[in-house]
Amino acid sequence: MTTTTTTTKPNPLSTLALLILPVLLLAGVIGLFLYTSGAGLNVQSAAPIESLSFERTILQPGVIEFRIRNTSPQEINIAQININDGIVRYTIDPGHTVPRLGRAVIKVPYPWVQSEAYEVAIFSSNSVAFTTAIDVASETKVADRSTLLSFTLIGLYVGVLPVFLGLFWFPALRRLGPRWMMFLMAITAGLLIYLGIDAVNEALETSIGLGGPFQGVGLIGLGVVVTFMLLDAIARRQVSVGRSEADQRLTVAYMIATGIGLHNLGEGLAIGAAYSVGAATLGTFLVIGFILQNITEGLGIIAPVLRDRPTLSSLAWMGLIGGVPAVVGAWVGGLTYSQPLAVLFLAIGAGAVFEVVYEIGKLIQRDAAKRPMPLTIFAGVTVGMLLLYVTGLLIK
Amino acid sequence: MTTSLTRRTLFRAGTLSALGLAGAAVLQTPAPVSSQEQTATHPHNEQTMFMPGTVGEVDHAANGFNPTDILTDFDYGKVSTLPSGQTLHEYDFVAGTKDIEVAPGIMYAAWTYNGRIPGPTIRAREGDRIRINFVNGTGHPHSIHFHGIHPAGMDGVFEPVPPGGTFVYEFDAEPFGVHLYHCHVMPLAQHIAKGLYGAFIIDPPQGWPPAEHELVMVMNGFDLDFDLANDLYAVNTIPFHYDIHPIKIKVNALVRVFLVNVLEFDPINSFHLHANLFHYYPTGTSLTPSEFTDMIAQMQAQRGMLEFRYKYPGKYMFHAHKTEFAELGWTGNFLVEA
Repeated sequence: MTTTTTTTKPNPLSTLALLILPVLLLAGVIGLFLYTSGAGLNVQSAAPIESLSFERTILQPGVIEFRIRNTSPQEINIAQININDGIVRYTIDPGHTVPRLGRAVIKVPYPWVQSEAYEVAIFSSNSVAFTTAIDVASETKVADRSTLLSFTLIGLYVGVLPVFLGLFWFPALRRLGPRWMMFLMAITAGLLIYLGIDAVNEALETSIGLGGPFQGVGLIGLGVVVTFMLLDAIARRQVSVGRSEADQRLTVAYMIATGIGLHNLGEGLAIGAAYSVGAATLGTFLVIGFILQNITEGLGIIAPVLRDRPTLSSLAWMGLIGGVPAVVGAWVGGLTYSQPLAVLFLAIGAGAVFEVVYEIGKLIQRDAAKRPMPLTIFAGVTVGMLLLYVTGLLIK
Repeated sequence: MTTSLTRRTLFRAGTLSALGLAGAAVLQTPAPVSSQEQTATHPHNEQTMFMPGTVGEVDHAANGFNPTDILTDFDYGKVSTLPSGQTLHEYDFVAGTKDIEVAPGIMYAAWTYNGRIPGPTIRAREGDRIRINFVNGTGHPHSIHFHGIHPAGMDGVFEPVPPGGTFVYEFDAEPFGVHLYHCHVMPLAQHIAKGLYGAFIIDPPQGWPPAEHELVMVMNGFDLDFDLANDLYAVNTIPFHYDIHPIKIKVNALVRVFLVNVLEFDPINSFHLHANLFHYYPTGTSLTPSEFTDMIAQMQAQRGMLEFRYKYPGKYMFHAHKTEFAELGWTGNFLVEA
C-alpha cells in the first residue's frame, strides 16, 4: 500500500533544503533588484529624504546641548545651527556625519537667558532644516545627590504615597456589605479603564516626536498587546493550579498592584523627564488634586480582597509593587530620558491596566453569577471614570 | 514640547508642587528667587566670548571663487577699439547650474553667471561700448537685465533666452555710477535668489579720485529650505567670510566701496561701519556725496558708493544693522594696518 510511504519520517536535510530554497530565491531577487538599480522601477528620489529627531535638549550655564538621532533612511551630515535667527558655533560628538539611527551630541556655547524662549534650526548638508524649540529656558537638572533625592521624592508623590493612602481604607471598607464591595470593584474597573485610555493617549502624544523608523503606533500596539497577553497567561496559569477563590482574589489584587506599578513606571519616566528639562509649574492647589486622583490607585488594589484577610505584609508588598516603580521611572526618566523607551513604557502600563480591568471583570462576573446586580456595576464603572474626569476638570 | 494639558502635565505640576511643599523642609531647596538667579547667571567667559559664526570653512576652490578675491576682481572684459574710436569691452557670459557650498557643509543648487555668485563685476568707463555674448547653459530660460540706460531690446526682459540659446547684449555704458545686472525671467524672485546677479560699475569719464582700496560688495542671502525667507545673509555670498578673513586696509588710506543690495525676500538691507563715518554717493551717479554717516539702508537693487579713511589702526566691524542679518552671516571686519 502506498500509505506506508507517507508515514515514513521525511529526511530532515531535505526539509531544511526546502525551507531554505525560498530564502535563496528571495536573495536572488533582491540581488537582481540592486544589480539593475531598481529592475525597471525609478527608485531614485528627487531629493534626499532626511529626518532627525531631537531626543533631549539640555541647558547648562552658557551651553545648550542637543541630543539628536538620525531617523532618515540614510546617513545625515550636520552642517550649521541657527538659534533665534543667529548662526552659532558648535561642537558635535562623535562627528558631523551621523549614521542611520545613530545618535550625536551637539554642544552650543550660548548665553541663554532664564525663562526666555528659543527657536532652533539644525541644517543638514542638503539644506534641510530641522527645528525644535525651547519654550522656557531653565537649567537642566544634572545627576547629583540632591537631584536623585528630588526624583525619589517625585516618585514617592506620584506612586508610593497615594497607593498607601488608598490602602488605609482597608479596615473601613471591609465592613461594607457585598453590594458595596461590588460597587467598589466596579469603581476600580472604571478608574483603571480611564487610566488605560489616558496612558494610550500619552503614548500616542509622545510617539509623535519619534522618528519614522521607531513606528510609534506599532510600538504602542506591541507594548499594550504583549503586556496584556503576558499578564493574562500568568493569571490563567494561577487559576489552572486550582487554588481557593480567596487565593485567586489575592492574585488579582497583586496583579492590580503590578498593573498600577507598570503604569506608574511609565508616568514616573515621563514626569522625571519633564522635571529634568524644567517643563513644570508649581501650584499648591494642583498637589491636592494630584493626591486626590492617585489615592484611587490604592483603593483599586484592595478592592478584590476586601472580604478576605490578607496579611499586613502582603498589603505592604502590594503598596510597594504599585508605588515604587514610579520612583524608578522618575530616576530613569530624569537622568537618561529616551523617547522610544518612554512610549514603550506608557504602552506597557496601558496594557497592564487593561489586563487588570479584564481580571476584575472576571471577578465581578463570578460574583454577579451568584447575585446579579447590573445597575450597581454600571453605576460603579461610571462613577470610577467620572471620578477621574471630574477631578481632572477641577485641577487641569 | 506640547502645551496641551494632559494627565502627565497634571502629574508634572502636581509633583512639583508636592516637592515645593515638602522641599522646604526635607530638601532645603533654595527659595525660587535665589535659584532663578543661580540658573540665570552664566560663567563670564561664555557671556563675553559668544560670537555668532559658522563652524568650519567652505571649500573655495570647489566653489570656484573666493569672496576675498571677489572684492577687487574688476572685470574689464576683452578690451579693443571700435572703428569709431569707441572702446569696446567684450564679455562671454554663461548661465549655468552649480552646487555651491554657501556655508560650511551646506550645498545649495544655484544658478550662476560664469560659475560664481555674484557674477563677474563688469567695469567700464562712461561712453564705452559693452558687448556680452550670453549663452544659457541651464535647463531653464534666463536673461541678463542691466540697470542703466540702453535701448529696449537690450533690456533682457522680453527676450528670455531659452535653454541652450544665445543672445548678444550690446549698448553704451551710461550713466556713470554703481549699477547691477540680474536675470529678469519670471518668477523673478526665484531667478534672482538662486544667484543670477552681479555688480556693474561705470567709471566717470574723468575717473573717480584715486583710492588706495576699491572694493565691491554685493549684499545677498540664501533661502535654503524654499520657505521664501533667507536662512543665510552675506556680502559676496559666504556668511561671516570677512569675519574670519578680515579685509586688510591701510591706515589713512582712502577706501572706496561699491555697495550693491540684491537681497531677495527681505524688503531692506543695510550697511553699518564701526568707529568711523563714510561719505555716501547714492547710486554713485554724483561726484558730490549726499551724506556723511555710518549707516545706510538699501532696498533691493538700490546701490551706492562709500568712501572713508580709518584714522587709527585696529580691527573694525562692518555689518548689516538689521541685527538678525548680521547674526545670520552679514558680518565682517576691516583690519586697519599702520
